Amino acid sequence: MLGHAMRSSGVWTYGVVNLGHILGVATLFGAVLVLDLRLLGLWRTVPLPSIAGPTVPVATTGFVIAAFTGVALLATKATEYAGNPFLLIKFPAIAVALLNVAVVTSRPAWKHMGRPDQVAGDRRTLAVAGAVSLAAWLTAIGAGRMIGYW
Amino acid sequence: MQTRRSVSMTLAAFVMAVLPAAAHHGWSGNSQEEFELTGTVEQAVSLAGPHATMKVRAQGQVWEITLAPPPRTQAAGLNEKAIPVGAEVKIHGHRNSDPKRFEVKTERVTWNGKTFNVYPDRD
Repeated sequence: MLGHAMRSSGVWTYGVVNLGHILGVATLFGAVLVLDLRLLGLWRTVPLPSIAGPTVPVATTGFVIAAFTGVALLATKATEYAGNPFLLIKFPAIAVALLNVAVVTSRPAWKHMGRPDQVAGDRRTLAVAGAVSLAAWLTAIGAGRMIGYW
Repeated sequence: MQTRRSVSMTLAAFVMAVLPAAAHHGWSGNSQEEFELTGTVEQAVSLAGPHATMKVRAQGQVWEITLAPPPRTQAAGLNEKAIPVGAEVKIHGHRNSDPKRFEVKTERVTWNGKTFNVYPDRD
């Protein structure tokens, strides 16, 4: 049904939805990059809650936009993408990134991020999460961009 | 240490992703040589997706005909109803450089004395 809507609603539909996908990815990655670099140890003078506060909801919004538009793009010609190897890199990378979010946000290191008694172990936990996040999202975006060039 | 390792992992993933990049958007995955094909329309023009497409049966194969992006294809007069299924058409363009793939990135489609020039700025 979605695929049919994508195919029969005018010649600009794919381009406009593709634009939405890019804006969603840009919103997601822009916010994620700032947060991950802070988790990795940049801008230590800025308290982590001051950075996590705005970046988390912005990244979440970007992800939701990218997910909805992405499904619509895939549905346009679902069968054509079935054998595309870059999808097999992209979707596991997104799964790793989301799993990383679930894991880190359940850790005490994240829950107590504002406290002055943060120990080195907490900082290390958060830095690892930031590194995994950057690697996973860059892989997902890199593979995603290559889908059209296969 | 963790940071350095993940940076190199990211770079490795990028290199792996970029290396086998072939055609679809560009012309680099297609042969330089001009290619012509005459056959019958198997599936009418579709103006959906990143590029308009159609299918043509020729030389005992069904060929994927990749056209210009949908707005440009439509501007050349080529839409879903322009050529009926079963009509004999001539395709001019560049064949996929993989000889196992029957795909032509197409510059012109000729049918019934009419030429649909979807890439008028190319030979």
